[in-house]
Formats: sequence, structure tokens, C-alpha cells
Amino acid sequence: MSNAAITSCGDDALRFDMPERAIRLARARQLQASGDWIEVVPGRRDITVQFNPHIDTPQSARARLSNTMSKALPSEARSMQHVRLPVHFGGDNGPDLAGIAHSLDLSQSDLIAQLTAQPLDVDMLGFTPGFAYMSGLSERLEIPRLSQPRQQVPPGSVGLITGQCGLYALAGPGGWPLIGRTDVSLFDASADDPFKLQPGMQVQLVDADES
Amino acid sequence: MSISVLQSGVQMTLQGAQRIGTRHLGVPASGPADPLSMALANRLVGNAADATAFEITFGGAGVRFNTPVSFALTGAPSDLTLNGKPIRLHTTYTAHEGDELQIAPAVQGCRIYLAVAAVLEAKRFLRSTSTYIPAVLGGHEGRALKRNELISMASVRLVPTQTTPESLQPVCSNSYTLRAVEGPDYMERSSSIWEEIYTVTQRASRMGIELSGAFPDAGQGPSRASSAIWPGALQLPPGGRGFLLLADAQTTGGYPHILQVTRADRHLLGQIRPGDRVRFLHRTNEQAREALRAKQALISNWLPDFAL
Repeated sequence: MSNAAITSCGDDALRFDMPERAIRLARARQLQASGDWIEVVPGRRDITVQFNPHIDTPQSARARLSNTMSKALPSEARSMQHVRLPVHFGGDNGPDLAGIAHSLDLSQSDLIAQLTAQPLDVDMLGFTPGFAYMSGLSERLEIPRLSQPRQQVPPGSVGLITGQCGLYALAGPGGWPLIGRTDVSLFDASADDPFKLQPGMQVQLVDADES
Repeated sequence: MSISVLQSGVQMTLQGAQRIGTRHLGVPASGPADPLSMALANRLVGNAADATAFEITFGGAGVRFNTPVSFALTGAPSDLTLNGKPIRLHTTYTAHEGDELQIAPAVQGCRIYLAVAAVLEAKRFLRSTSTYIPAVLGGHEGRALKRNELISMASVRLVPTQTTPESLQPVCSNSYTLRAVEGPDYMERSSSIWEEIYTVTQRASRMGIELSGAFPDAGQGPSRASSAIWPGALQLPPGGRGFLLLADAQTTGGYPHILQVTRADRHLLGQIRPGDRVRFLHRTNEQAREALRAKQALISNWLPDFAL
């Protein structure tokens, strides 16, 4: 695989584009495992690494990154993890579901059927602790962010914007319209891996209230 | 063994180490907004540089020592008294049982650090005791301290008096010149930012500082796909103002990231308050590294376990 261009991202970080999710996440795991970097943060299309400027020069960091990137990706020993997530759609759990369905000219159950038709892919965690960005929804469902973010979103809330679903692992402010909520705990403060969802996982949303 | 909060001011939190290696989980660094000042306070009481201490925003606060213990204050200058008698920043004192420390509103700067020669009880999350209020993590129940609350202490010590060498005492001002390098979304038309003097608006917190003044037009189009961002990043959200990120800032963002305050100067961000003036000095990455090396060399003798 040819090397993506490495660009500077401030005086102690480097970035390169990596639009293909599976390759991006595998590369991020390889960089994390190397122990060479203070932070390895996959974005939606790129990876940014932070180096220690007390030890590295921008040149030495770049050379090391370039060297890692020229190596083959480790073969993925672990299989893709699937998580089944029962969600209570609509009502108090998803106060924006009815409005979104209406604006898309769909019934609520049609919209829920579209959300649960196929598993979604976790692209990245970011913005707030454990917030999972998931893709795999039709871009034709055009859903803008809220014009006024909520001050407090309950943990387990499921948000929806065009082409993406977002899961709030923790309570906090949030600007995505909310369509439902899961009772499954997505966070364990005492665990080494405190967040249940990880980039690369597949998440199947299930209608918890369907009898 | 404990300390009582008599008044908590605008915001009083417990802060310790920065969270390292957690940004890919969406967990920001947190820790002191001004890590250098906290390290200096801890140094005066013989603690590790990142031992848990009180971060007190704007002063206007007070505590009672329910146990004899040595303590030190650093950061934003304000009138300080121990049982009504004036005391100073950057000096170790020893409180008797029942002594009351009063911290008047800060005259300049933003944050005051109170370190005690003891281990303050705080919740640990991802290897750090630092409070991250938005997600209720770390510190004292994940939130700011309130009046009449008790913070427990262990391993309480009385230590000899020391003073921070004068040349190492940071100076607070109402005007900051910050060395910065070009960010990943810097464009040639961004170059006017090096000439401009910006004013800090009322939106200033541990998340970041909003700047008003002339910024290049960030455009109204869709923001780009989210990428990693860090404390010290200057972002341009829609609306024409800049947002300079601090310790509690979100870990990823889609707004243009046009400048990055250099590692050497990031500790200054925690002392910038509404109304202050901010200028950016254009540096290359190599100059930024040299500035970091020079500043680190100045403080390393006094703070051997602290890296900027």
C-alpha cells in the first residue's frame, strides 16, 4: 500500500488521510500497539498522532510514522465484534423521532424499520467520552442537527443525523436529534476499557418494544 | 483529616494528572488549566507535580483546615489571608487546626492553585483524579466543590517553608502574546490573524476561550469530517469568532483548525480571563521546539518531574 501524505497538525502532532474505515482502524491499532505515540486518534477519514516534543523533533516523528506506514498491516486475528442493542424508540426516550419521521414523510415504524434493517459500523469514539459515531444509514435520510443543543442528554440515548447514528455513552450536552434510548449500560468507570462500543464494532439496533 | 470548603467561588475543582492516551475514547486530558502553576504549588509542599490539588477559578473562595497541614498557593494574584493575616503566593505555610484561608477575587489572571502536603481524596478514572465536569468523572463526585463540603486527606505532612525562585514565578497580565504554529486548516488568507489583537469574550471556561476580533471567513459550507483536536487549537466555528481550546475541550471536531498554540505556551491559556487581549506570534514547528526546549530548561532544576 502506498503511503498517505503526512501533514503537520501543530507542533506536536501529525496527521494522514485514511478514508477506508477498515484500513484506518487497523492502522490505528497498529500505531497504538507500537507505544511510539502519546495519542493515536482516528477521525472519520484520518488518523492523528501526538508525539512527545521533549524527545522527538517534527522530523524524527515524521520519519518514524512514515516507517510504520510503509509496513504491512498486521493481519486481523480478531473477528469483527457484533453487538445487539435493544432500543426504546420514540416517546420520552426519543423525543425527536416523531418530528424526524414527519419531516421525511415516513411513519415512525417505517423509520425504525430502516434503522434496524442492517447493522451499523462504529467509525470512531469522540467529541465526548464514549460517544460512538456509527455509519451505514442511507444518506437520503436528511436530518439536520438541532439548532439549539440540549444541555443534558440521558446516557444510552441514540441520536440521528444525515447518514450517521450516534450513541451517548454518558449523560452530557448533545446536539443530535434523539430517536431512542437503550437500557444497556455503555460505560463502566472502573473497567480498563470503560466503554462498551469500540471503533470497528458492528451494532445491530433492535426495537426493544416490538412484541 | 479534612479540609472544609467555606466558599467555592466561581468554580473550585480537584485536578490531578492529565489523562494521557485516552483521546481516542473521547476522553479529554482534563487536569489543571494551568499545569505549570499547579506543579509549582505542589513543589512547595513536596508533592509530585501532578498530585491532586484545588483549582480555584477567579478566587473569591475560602477553606478551613480541620487538620494541621502545610499548604501553598500559586497562580492568579489576589489578596490572601490566613486567619486574617496576609500571606503570599509561592510560599509554603503551615495551617493549625481550624485555621481559615481566604482568597479574595483575583485581580489579574484566572486560576489559583492550592496544594496541600497530603493526599486529597478524589475519585480515579482512567488513571487520573482530575475532575471532568461535563461527564461527571474524577475529582469529588465528578463535579465542582460546594460550600460546606469536606474533602478528606490522608498522609498529612508538615514541611519546611520554601519559596518559588522569583525568576520562575509566572506573571499574570491582561495581555497575552502566544506563540503559535499553523494548524492543519491554515490558509494563506489566514495570515491577517498574526496582525490582529483579539479580545476574550465572556465565554471562557475549562473547555475553551472565545476570542472576538477579525478572523478570516471560515465559510458557511458544511464543516469537514471530524478529526482529532487538542488543547491549544484555535478553531473557527461559524459566527465569526475564534475558539481556543483548553484542558476539558472535546477530543474531535469538524470546525477549521487554523492555529495551534505551541506546547511551550499552552500552560498560559489557563490564566486568560474575559476582557484580556490575545495576540498570536507566528512560529515554525522548529522554532516551537526550540522555545519548548528553552522554557523546559529554565524550570527543570526546580521542577524535575514536570514537563510542559
